[in-house]
Amino acid sequence: MDADSKKFSRPKIDGWIFFLVGLIAALIVGWIVFPLVLYSEKSQPLSFSHSSHGPESDAGLECEECHFFYKDGTFSGIPGIRKCMDCHEDPESPLSEDPEEVKLFTDYVGPEKEIPWLIYSRQPDCVYFPHIAHVKMANIECKVCHGDFATRKTPPIYKVNRLTRYSIDIWGRNIAGYKKNTWDKMKMDDCADCHKRKGKENNNACFVCHK
Amino acid sequence: MELSRRNFIKFAAGGLGGTMLSPLPWKLIDDIAIWTQNWSWVPVPARGKFSYIKTVCTLCPGACGIEVRKVGSRAVKIEGRSDYPVNQGAICPLGMAGLQILYNGGIRWKAPMKRVGPRGSQEWKEIPWDEAIDELAIRIKGLRDKGNPEKLAAIDGNQSRSTMALLIKRLINSIGSPNYMFMPREEDTHATANFLMQGTNGPIAFDLENADLILSFGCGLLDGWGAPGRMLSTWRQWANNGKKHKTYLVQVDPRASNTASKADLWLAPFPGTEAALAMGIAHVIIKGKLYHKKFIENHSFGFYDWFDEKGVEHKGFSKIVLEKYSPQMVENITGIKRRVIIEVAKKFASAHAPIAIAGKGKGTLPGSLYEFMAVHALNALKGRVNKEGGSLITDDVPLAQWSDVEYDSVAKDGLIKERVDCAGTPQYPFSRSLIHKFTDAINSGHGSPIDTLLLCSANPVYTIPDSQSFIEALAKIPFIVSFSPFMDETSLMADLILPDHTHLEKIVDIVWPTGIQYPLYALSQPVVKPIYRTKHSGDVIISLADRIGGQVAGSFQWTNFEEALKERVRGLYDSGNEKVSWADIKKNGYWYIPAHSFGRWTDIFKTPSKKFEFFSTEIELALKAYSKEKSFDNALINLGISSKGDEVYMPHYEEIKSGADKKEYPLLLFPMELINLASGWIGNPPFLNKTLFNHQLKRDDLFVEVNPKTASQYRLKEGSKAIIRSPKGELKVRIHLFDGAMPGVIFVPFGLGHTAYDKHLKGKGVNPNKIIDQVEDPLSGQPVWWNTRVELIKI
Repeated sequence: MDADSKKFSRPKIDGWIFFLVGLIAALIVGWIVFPLVLYSEKSQPLSFSHSSHGPESDAGLECEECHFFYKDGTFSGIPGIRKCMDCHEDPESPLSEDPEEVKLFTDYVGPEKEIPWLIYSRQPDCVYFPHIAHVKMANIECKVCHGDFATRKTPPIYKVNRLTRYSIDIWGRNIAGYKKNTWDKMKMDDCADCHKRKGKENNNACFVCHK
Repeated sequence: MELSRRNFIKFAAGGLGGTMLSPLPWKLIDDIAIWTQNWSWVPVPARGKFSYIKTVCTLCPGACGIEVRKVGSRAVKIEGRSDYPVNQGAICPLGMAGLQILYNGGIRWKAPMKRVGPRGSQEWKEIPWDEAIDELAIRIKGLRDKGNPEKLAAIDGNQSRSTMALLIKRLINSIGSPNYMFMPREEDTHATANFLMQGTNGPIAFDLENADLILSFGCGLLDGWGAPGRMLSTWRQWANNGKKHKTYLVQVDPRASNTASKADLWLAPFPGTEAALAMGIAHVIIKGKLYHKKFIENHSFGFYDWFDEKGVEHKGFSKIVLEKYSPQMVENITGIKRRVIIEVAKKFASAHAPIAIAGKGKGTLPGSLYEFMAVHALNALKGRVNKEGGSLITDDVPLAQWSDVEYDSVAKDGLIKERVDCAGTPQYPFSRSLIHKFTDAINSGHGSPIDTLLLCSANPVYTIPDSQSFIEALAKIPFIVSFSPFMDETSLMADLILPDHTHLEKIVDIVWPTGIQYPLYALSQPVVKPIYRTKHSGDVIISLADRIGGQVAGSFQWTNFEEALKERVRGLYDSGNEKVSWADIKKNGYWYIPAHSFGRWTDIFKTPSKKFEFFSTEIELALKAYSKEKSFDNALINLGISSKGDEVYMPHYEEIKSGADKKEYPLLLFPMELINLASGWIGNPPFLNKTLFNHQLKRDDLFVEVNPKTASQYRLKEGSKAIIRSPKGELKVRIHLFDGAMPGVIFVPFGLGHTAYDKHLKGKGVNPNKIIDQVEDPLSGQPVWWNTRVELIKI
């Protein structure tokens, strides 16, 4: 009998081990390996410090001085090199001792070349997003969507999705899509959630953004 | 612990379970969807800074304002222009898809071409512009040298008041030919009705925005009628008025079109009996004395019985309406219940600002003159002429006139010859162009009375009813020149192609689009540089005139088309209404007078009686002139009028007769127009093909709409294949059962069945024009396109 029961029960346990090994391996792949493989890291061309430009810093610039609205209501986004040159005009007299500023002068201000910033919040072409409706009309702070950039010393690491070519910040840094803060994700559902919460559900009609 | 088959399966099951419990599959699904958008062959506009160019869309006569988004030199998106008075941001699907007309190289002529093979063989040789224009100039000079300038003709599709149309007409006339023709259009039916009843020549203007009841006799207000963008934004405005002030829409339509489905009340009379319905409504208003007494008594002529100078008594409009159009009689004609007629009439009469409008579908094809008069008579009965929310009368846009053409002796001799199409002759006193008569004239003789035909902004081989006869006529014309930018059906039959730019590559003007309630002048300006070796037809005409030389060149003293525009625009500045210079117009893109002076009934009517004429003196004069040649009864027969007595001069119902036998052809073919299917000379862009349902177009098969009752009589089911046969030919179609289609009528869309263009259009569906058995509309002589008797054969 003993021999028989052993004979029959062992494969059951063995089987569960195989099952568990498969399960755990897949969980490791899905939760840990997959995100590592899916995203590649890129660094910004310059390590720009918002904290040394912002309102609290010596430079004491207000957000709107660089990220301004044009007269027609369109948003300037990331400022062009000419905006940088308003202050960083003379390579002979840099404003700091930071090597990043030297790089700014030699690589971009000198040849007057635009800095190829990697944009965390870049959305597909099929999306129309008016900053003015959100910032000026709805009075939403920048950080609600972008996170608190104003106090950052260095830009976050830019991770690009190898398949979609969009930044990780669109799906969110949490691979499960879990979000804690409003700025953790920038997918369509996040736009829609916020519209719904603010009683602007009418703005969730397709052609409001996809036109 | 061996890895047996069983254990491997367990491992795999664990792996599968683990995968499903991880974000991997869900995230991948999302990413793969986005990845497909990044494939290299998926067209995506280049990234870059946006620039916007404001202009006006000229793909249809509506002329809505558009804003084109560009990245670098490439136009990437067309949107409605919100600062433009006509459409206020709204735009139709065709306007939006305009980039496919610009960038689709497969449908465009890329340079001047000369035919080298036999006609229709599509063997072409690219030639330089100079050579192309010279060839035409030499041909025209030859005609003039032989003393036959009238053998030159033009068929024009440009809007009547536009500088392009004026320029083409000026060219033809200065050369010495009276044969300037234009495509049949609804604008002319309106203009004639206005002329006969009001004596005015200004454009039609409907203040729909301020009307509270709209009685639409077939106008597809939501199906692309007028300026489609305007109607979409007006609809929004009506909806925003709130329930209390909601605009009430009565739609008269044989089919549940978009407009009929959205209307407050839908009436479906038998097609062609709309005039009777209007008269029935007039009957109820007159009988109940619900009309506007002040207007009728002081400012109208022919409402009551009257005596002429000779003391002969004439019946008034009111008497004829009361005698002949009781609701019961009208029910018998139209099929609309008398109770409904009375209800609609009472609603119309009691509304604060009602308006009645006529014109089928998109409102571009000619209508029935007596019907338009009958509908407009309803406006007059309620004093809705030149009133807020009514039908307005206004002066034309005050553009400057060019200096008069100085005709040389050749031109003078040519111009006194009769027009080939008989327009304006005593038989067709109120028509200015009749292409089907032109076709008849060529097909009836041995030789062609026309030697050289110019075709501008038109594709008649495709858009003219009974297109087969037109094709036969073209084959007889020795030399055909097409200015079309597109490889359309007509230009493929030409001998010389002088390709124009497309609408986004050139400057043209828009002078008061159809139905807009205020004078408007606008410029459509180039958005991109010409992509191919095309040339603005206006410039080509000026340079052609220069090469013909003599007095002809003298009438075209401009170096380019823009100068000709500029000279006309000076009139706006000189008018003093609203100071505007060429620079202002170029910058703003438009000029208009929003304020209108309403009322003024004592001085706005320019008829011989200086009143609104229910009894049209102009018809009386025309008939008098014609009956000098023929007996009065014969004159009426030739004009296609079957009524007798005083009714002839007044709005009334005329049955449109068809030559086909009702027994042999028991059904009616009714071509319909859809807002998402371009039906004019512009080929439907592929984007719009995608918006057609599978029950409208499936691969190459076109579905026609048939009422299930009618279909069951022929044992046809959804999707069945059938042949529609008219005396003119056959169409192979499939059946779509539609409860919203009137029984006994087959609805076929205009816009498919091209035999030219590229793979997206060629051979897709069928073109109803091919089998339209046109008859002439009484009095106007225009082709009736909606009254073809057909039979349906199951295959």
